[in-house]
Amino acid sequence: MRMRLPSGVFYTTYRQDQALWPTTFVKLRMWGLLVFLFVIFPQIASSYWLSLASLVGYTILSAMGVQLLIGYTGQVTLGHAAFIAAGAYTVAVLVLQYHVPYPLAFLAALVVAGLWSVLFGLPSARVKGFYLIMTTMAAQFITVDFIITQYVSRIGERGHSFSLPPGTLSIGPWVLRSDRDIYYLMITLVTLSVLAMTNLARTRIGRAWMAIRDHDIAAEALGINIVAYKLLAFFMAGVFGGMAGAFWVASLFAVSPEHFAWSWSLWLVGVVLIGGLGSNYGTIFGSLFMTLVMEALRNGVAMLAPIVPALEASFLFVKEAAFGLAIVLFLLYEPNGLAYRWWQIKNYIHLWPFSYE
Amino acid sequence: MEVFLQLVLTGVMVGSIYALVALGWVLIYKCSGVLNMAMGELTLIGAYVSLAFYEWGFPFPLALLATLLIGAILGILTERLVLRRLIGEPVLTVIMVTVGLSFFFRGIIELLWGTDLRVFHPPVFPFEPIRLGPVVIGQVYLWSFIAAMALLGALVAFFRYTRWGLAMQAMADDEMAAIALGISPKFVYAAAWAIAFMAAGVGGSLLGNINGVNIAVGYLGLLVLPAVVLGGLNSIPGAILGGITIGVLQNLAGGYLDRLTPGGVKEIFPFVVMTLVLLVKPYGLFGWVRIERV
Repeated sequence: MRMRLPSGVFYTTYRQDQALWPTTFVKLRMWGLLVFLFVIFPQIASSYWLSLASLVGYTILSAMGVQLLIGYTGQVTLGHAAFIAAGAYTVAVLVLQYHVPYPLAFLAALVVAGLWSVLFGLPSARVKGFYLIMTTMAAQFITVDFIITQYVSRIGERGHSFSLPPGTLSIGPWVLRSDRDIYYLMITLVTLSVLAMTNLARTRIGRAWMAIRDHDIAAEALGINIVAYKLLAFFMAGVFGGMAGAFWVASLFAVSPEHFAWSWSLWLVGVVLIGGLGSNYGTIFGSLFMTLVMEALRNGVAMLAPIVPALEASFLFVKEAAFGLAIVLFLLYEPNGLAYRWWQIKNYIHLWPFSYE
Repeated sequence: MEVFLQLVLTGVMVGSIYALVALGWVLIYKCSGVLNMAMGELTLIGAYVSLAFYEWGFPFPLALLATLLIGAILGILTERLVLRRLIGEPVLTVIMVTVGLSFFFRGIIELLWGTDLRVFHPPVFPFEPIRLGPVVIGQVYLWSFIAAMALLGALVAFFRYTRWGLAMQAMADDEMAAIALGISPKFVYAAAWAIAFMAAGVGGSLLGNINGVNIAVGYLGLLVLPAVVLGGLNSIPGAILGGITIGVLQNLAGGYLDRLTPGGVKEIFPFVVMTLVLLVKPYGLFGWVRIERV
C-alpha cells in the first residue's frame, strides 16, 4: 500500500519503491509527454523542427551507450563513434549489396556493433582507467580510419560515401521517406532505448555495473564476475551504438566515414558530462542542450554573417571552440551536469515553501 | 637492406620529435597526475606560432625562441586558469577538461589560420639531401633530429642539475614529502605545463617544417599517447625511447605494410602497437606497476 502523507510519498513494498511510475501524477505526466511526442509534436512541427528533433534523437541514441559505459559502469570510452559506424555500415552494406530488408539489417547492425564493441572491451579485463581509454581510442582509429575508410567503403565500388536515396529503406509496407517518417522512427527508438536503459539500471545487471563503477575490487569481493559484467556493458553499449548507426543511415540517406570521426566520440562524452552522469535525464538533457545550443549558435552566426562575412565560412570552428569551452566551464562550475540542476529545481518546488537549508 | 636502413634512420629522426613532445606529456603526468589529451593541439599551436613569426620575417632560430616564450606563457595561463581548480578531481573530469581544451584550442587555431596546408616559405632548411654511406637523408630531418636532441638533453640536464628541476623531481616522487620540504606545488604544476607547452611547441614547429602546417600536425602530436604507453606513463627515459620506437615502427609500417593494404597503415599502426602493448604489458617498459587495495 502506498501512503501519501503531507510530508511526502511513502512506500510499504520494494515493488512500489522500484516502480517506473510511482505516483498517479508521474503516470499522468509521462502519458502526457508520450502523447505530446508521438501525436501532437509531429502534427504541429514544421519540417525544420522535425529534422532538428531527429538530430536530438540521434544524439540521444548515440550518447546512450556512452552513458552506459561511463555513467553506469565507469569504463571511460573515447571511441564510441567506432561502434556507431559499425552499425551504420552493417545496415548500409546489407541493404545496398545484399538487398536485405531494413528491419533485418537493423537487427544485424545491433549484433555486429555489440560484438565489435566487446572485441575492444576485452582489454578491460586486464587494464582500467587511462589504459582502457587508450584502447577505446585505438578502436576509433583502427575501425573508422582504417577498416571502414580503406576496406568497407570500397565494397561495391560506390565511391567514398554510400548513398541510400529516400525510399530505399522501408519497414514492411512503411517506406521511410519524409522528415515525419524519420521522426516517428526516431521517437520510437528513443522511447524503447530509454525504457531498456531504465530497466537495465534498476535490475541485477545495472546494480552490478554500478558496483563495478563505484569500486571494482570491492565489487569482485562481493561475488560479482567483473570481467563478464564489463564485457556485457561493452556489448550493450555497442548495441545502443549500433541502433544509433542504423538510425543515422535512415535519417541522412547516406553514410560516409567522416560522420564517425574521433571528434564525434569526444562530443558524445561531452554531451554525457554536460547532461550529467548516471541517469537517463543526463543523456537526454545533454543531447537537447548541445544540439539546441549549437543550432542557436548557428542561427546567430547566420544572422551576423551579413556584417562579418568571414564568420559564415568558419562556423564549424566557432562550434568546436564553443563546445570545448562548454565542457571546460561545465566541469569547472557545474560538475554534476544539468540533470543535477534539474533535480535541485524539482526538489525546491517539491518542498516549497519549507526547503531544507 | 638499404631501404630498411633508410626507414629506420628517418624513423629515429621523426621519432626524436615525438620523444620531445612525449617528454612534455610525461612531465605533466608525473608532476600533477593530469592525463593530458590536448597534446596534439599544443604541437599545433607551436607549429602555427613559429610559422607566424617566421612569416613576419624573424629568422628561424628566433622564431623558435619566440615559440618557446609564447608556449611558456600559454602553459602557465592554462594551468592557472583551468587545471589548478581541478586538483584532486576524478580522472575522467581532468581528462575531459583537457579534451575540452583541445577542442577549444583547435577551434581558435582554425579561426585564426584556416585549414589550408601552409609551408615555411622560403624553406628553413636546404632541400639537398645528405648521404650517409648508402642512406640518403633530407636535411630537414637531420636538423630536426639535432634540435630535438639538443632540447631533450637540455631538459634532462635541467631535471638533474638545477634547483627547479630537482624540485619537480621531488614533487613527482612524493608529493607530501616535497610539500613538507617547502616546495610550492603551484610553482611545480605551472612549470610542468610551461615546459610541456614549450616542448610541444618546438616539436610542432619541427614537424611543420617536415610536412607543412595544417590540422594533421595535431594528429602527429597525438602519437605521443602510444609513445608514452609504450615507454610507461611516468618514465622520462621511457618517453624518449617510446617516442623514437614509435617513429621507427611507424616508418617501417609505412614502408613495408602499406603495399599489402589499400593504404593508411602508417597512420594507425602506432595505435595497433599501443593496443598490443596494453594487452601484454599494460604498464609499459619502465612504468610503475600500481598495486591496489580496497
